[in-house]
Formats: sequence, C-alpha cells, structure tokens
Amino acid sequence: MIEAGALFLLGAVVVGSALGVVIVPNAVYSVLFLIVNLLGLAVCFLLLNAVFLAAAQVLIYAGAIIVLFLFAITLLSPGGEHISADPRRWQRNVGIVISVVLGLLLLFLLFGSITGLGTPLPNSGATSGTVEGFGRALFQRFLFPFEITSFVLLVALIGAVIYGSNTLDDIRRGRLPRGEQ
Amino acid sequence: MIGATEFYLTISALLFAIGAGGMLLRRNPLVMFMSIELMLNGVNLAFLTFARLWDNPDGDIFTFLVLTVAAAEAVVGLAIIISIFRPRQGVDVDEIDEMKG
Repeated sequence: MIEAGALFLLGAVVVGSALGVVIVPNAVYSVLFLIVNLLGLAVCFLLLNAVFLAAAQVLIYAGAIIVLFLFAITLLSPGGEHISADPRRWQRNVGIVISVVLGLLLLFLLFGSITGLGTPLPNSGATSGTVEGFGRALFQRFLFPFEITSFVLLVALIGAVIYGSNTLDDIRRGRLPRGEQ
Repeated sequence: MIGATEFYLTISALLFAIGAGGMLLRRNPLVMFMSIELMLNGVNLAFLTFARLWDNPDGDIFTFLVLTVAAAEAVVGLAIIISIFRPRQGVDVDEIDEMKG
C-alpha cells in the first residue's frame, strides 16, 4: 500500500512538473520544472530496472542539456520573458483540444496494446535492464547504430560551432573568420 | 488498482500529450523546445516499459539512442534559436515572418 502511494506520488510529481513546464510564463521557471521532471523520470527508469539509463538521464539531460537551456535563456532574455498571451483565443482552445485528444488516443493505443497479453511485469528477476545486458546488446547487435551515433554527435558539434561563431556569412564568402587574418 | 505497466504507460502518454500541447500553445521558442524534450521523454518511458514487459534490451538501446540524438538536437536547435533571436528584441516565434509570402 505504501509502495502504491509512493508510485502515485512519483507520477504526480512527473506529470505536475511537466504541466509546470508548459504553463509557467517565465522560461527560467520552466527549466527548473523540467529539471524536476527529468529527475522524476530518472527515478522511473530506476524502478524499471534500467540503472545505466537512469544515470545517463541524470548526466545528459538534467546536467548538460539543462545547462544549455539556462545558458540560452539568460543569453536571449536576461530581463525575463515578456510575451503576452496569444490574442487569438480560438487558437489556444484548438491547441488544448488537440493535445487532450492526442493524449486520450495515446492512452487508448497503449492500453490496447497490452490488454489480453497476460504477461506479468517482470520487474522482479528481469535480466534485460542490467548494465551487462545493456552493454552486450549495444556492442554486439547494435554496434553500427552506436557508431552512427558518434558521427551524429560530431556533426552536431561542428554545426553548433559554425552557427555560434557568428561568422557564417564570412565563411560562405570564402573569408577567414576574424582573428585568423 | 492498476498495475505498474499501466502506470508507466499512463505517465508516458500524459507526458507526450502535455509536450504536444506546449508545442502548440507556447510562443517562446525555448519553451517549445522544452516541450519537445518532454515528448521525447514520454516516448523513452514507453520504450523502457515495453522493454521490461517483454524482457528485451532493444528498448533500452533505443532509449539510449534517443537520449544521444536529443543531446545533439538540443545543441543544434539552441544554436539556431540563438542565431535567429540574438539580433532581435525579445523571443517570440510569431515575429519570425520573413518567409511570409
């Protein structure tokens, strides 16, 4: 019973912080809610027996990506966000209706995919979540996607450097970036 | 009393729907980007739940790949957002209308 209560509390924290990200008008508070959400999801991953992914979630998402978001926000709008509510109210209502319908459809789909399955949740005694099983799968069957991932990261790095260096036009015109002339 | 599988799937669907709603409703590009991250996380949770349900590590691998691609996407997306909005006052996606016919 206590376990069910704790699980419910965890779900409330995750969903509530997600709502906070979307609803709160100030972007900095949105990021703070996002941190709570990502940490709650890391706890979910832990409960699902995915130890490595929970650690990766905390390191990559709650660490690196959040820092990037905060950096971008403080760079773009240091005085806070001053975006008034959308004057077209019908657009907002249509957006809410669309997201609610999407959520109901997803619930219907996901629950439909597991009813009649009869498989007990092997949360106890499952072997697929261990670091060893994960590593074996990653470096044996999924070695090629793993290497592709490293290439994707390299391309993203180069793209971010070029975009951030403010010299895109110079490079396009064949001139060297400033400081190298 | 619902089981743990249904619990995680419910959270996953709610996260995806909330993220989609934020993407549709908000006009701050950074908050829209965070909404995308919410949607990705909902999908990750569903992947992991099904991976446990069938005791199959493929869902873990896919979650890992989504995590890495999300990191790359955040880097490039934030770089683009900064390069678009840096010369302007304020951040509002409705002001980006240069390609309007």
